[in-house]
Amino acid sequence: MNKLMVFGVVFVLALLGLTWVIAGGQMGDDIVNKLAMLGAVATATIAIFVALKYIRQMQTDKASGKLADENWDGIGEYKNELPFGWAIIFFGSIIWAIWYFLAGYPVNAYSQYGEYNEDVAAHDAKFEAQYANMDESSLKAMGESIFIVQCAPCHGLQADGIDGKAADLHHRIAENSVKAVIMNGSNNNLVGTGAPMPDRNGLLNANTGALITDAEIDTVSKYVAGGMQGTEGADVFAGTCAACHGADGKGMDMVAPNIAEMSPSLVDAVIHHGKKGVIGTMPAFTNLTEVQAKAIDAYVSSLSK
Amino acid sequence: MFHWLEKRPFFFAVAVFVVISFAGLIEILPNFAQASQPLVGTKPYSTLELAGRHVYIKNDCNGCHSQLIRPFKAETDRYGHYSLSGEYAYDRPFLWGSKRTGPDLMRVGNYRTTDWHENHMKDPVGVVPGSIMPAYPWMFKNTADIDTAYAEQITVNKVFKTPYNQEIPMADGSKATVKLAATLDEAHADALEEAKAIAADMKDQDVKDAVAAGQIPEIVALIAYMNSMK
Repeated sequence: MNKLMVFGVVFVLALLGLTWVIAGGQMGDDIVNKLAMLGAVATATIAIFVALKYIRQMQTDKASGKLADENWDGIGEYKNELPFGWAIIFFGSIIWAIWYFLAGYPVNAYSQYGEYNEDVAAHDAKFEAQYANMDESSLKAMGESIFIVQCAPCHGLQADGIDGKAADLHHRIAENSVKAVIMNGSNNNLVGTGAPMPDRNGLLNANTGALITDAEIDTVSKYVAGGMQGTEGADVFAGTCAACHGADGKGMDMVAPNIAEMSPSLVDAVIHHGKKGVIGTMPAFTNLTEVQAKAIDAYVSSLSK
Repeated sequence: MFHWLEKRPFFFAVAVFVVISFAGLIEILPNFAQASQPLVGTKPYSTLELAGRHVYIKNDCNGCHSQLIRPFKAETDRYGHYSLSGEYAYDRPFLWGSKRTGPDLMRVGNYRTTDWHENHMKDPVGVVPGSIMPAYPWMFKNTADIDTAYAEQITVNKVFKTPYNQEIPMADGSKATVKLAATLDEAHADALEEAKAIAADMKDQDVKDAVAAGQIPEIVALIAYMNSMK
């Protein structure tokens, strides 16, 4: 054992001693700490003895072997065999690079859209599981919070339509809207499909056998907007509107919408198809999920009750 | 093999540069060329929409509103599908914006309509309580610059081959054509036709009268632009 070897052993022991002084007291029973300490011992030992090997080699080795043709200002290069381990790694990396180029990167690469899709799918699954079977009151609560985000910018936080800028959802229909629909007809998919209502030139009053008159339009508009209460206008309604909208005004499937009250199916049709009326145009809200649409239906139809 | 290069540092540096840039080029260029193609369903702007876009730029709307929806659920819930680069193929310049004081407008045409824009531009707080957006009353009085919009249409058609008067594939499989008028007078007439359809949905009597008299107020052009953002 020469001087260098002795120095190496002393240095390793000193390192380990220092490590023990600093961290030894905090080891406890934690297996991870013990493994880390073992790793520190191994690392220090290997590092020192590998270093020693090469230091000794530098001290004793003599230059020999075949020189390469290149000579840079007197500095030459030996033609050495490729170290075996290095060659393995080199050719291994070439094979890995081909795999990574053809399959590894294209298939496994990070994608922002991929992360987004996973995010949304996970959220939707959780949402659907959590809100699969809701009772009426929690549907309404959800509908109210969706309403504030999606509907309030036009219909107002109070759902009053902000001074006629949008439909007042506390009533089924306003008088000027009824009048406009009778005058101009309507085709708003309110029963789920296109079922156009004719304009006044196609509206016959069965009581009189003639087209509906201006005075009749006024009275029936008041009657419908007033929630179909009282008797004034009731006869015009029975003669003209009831054939499609039903005697009670609650509409008929696939024929005419409910004009007596806000029903969930009516709200649903408006949300999915939008609506164009005398107030303006409402866009279709196709971004809502089924549960969300149901929640809105429940909330909005509850406003007028 | 590389003796010649190894003895010449300058050319060696050039060779290194070429090799490294080559890697960059084959990675970046093909993707870029593909992503900048117009997305199916993306149409060039009509004269009136382009005039509205100029109003948008003139009033620095992009100072507060972005036109770039990022792929996060919180954003797509609010604004719709995230933006794709092909959708900006006809935007010169793009108006992504760098600050979102107001909401994103990339797809505002899907969830706001003519009458709402009219109310909102006149009195933002009237429809959105607590809004800090100012009112833009002058847009109801100023006349939109159709000449410049038409000039831009001709320019992008000639320089960038923007496909006016050509069939463009739409997302649902149909074809759409955006007209580029042959003369300035025709462009004015076409823009007025488009403006009439929008004014019919508006309430402001002054705007309706102006359009009936052949004038196009800025607000009409702006609404045409807003409605085109889908």
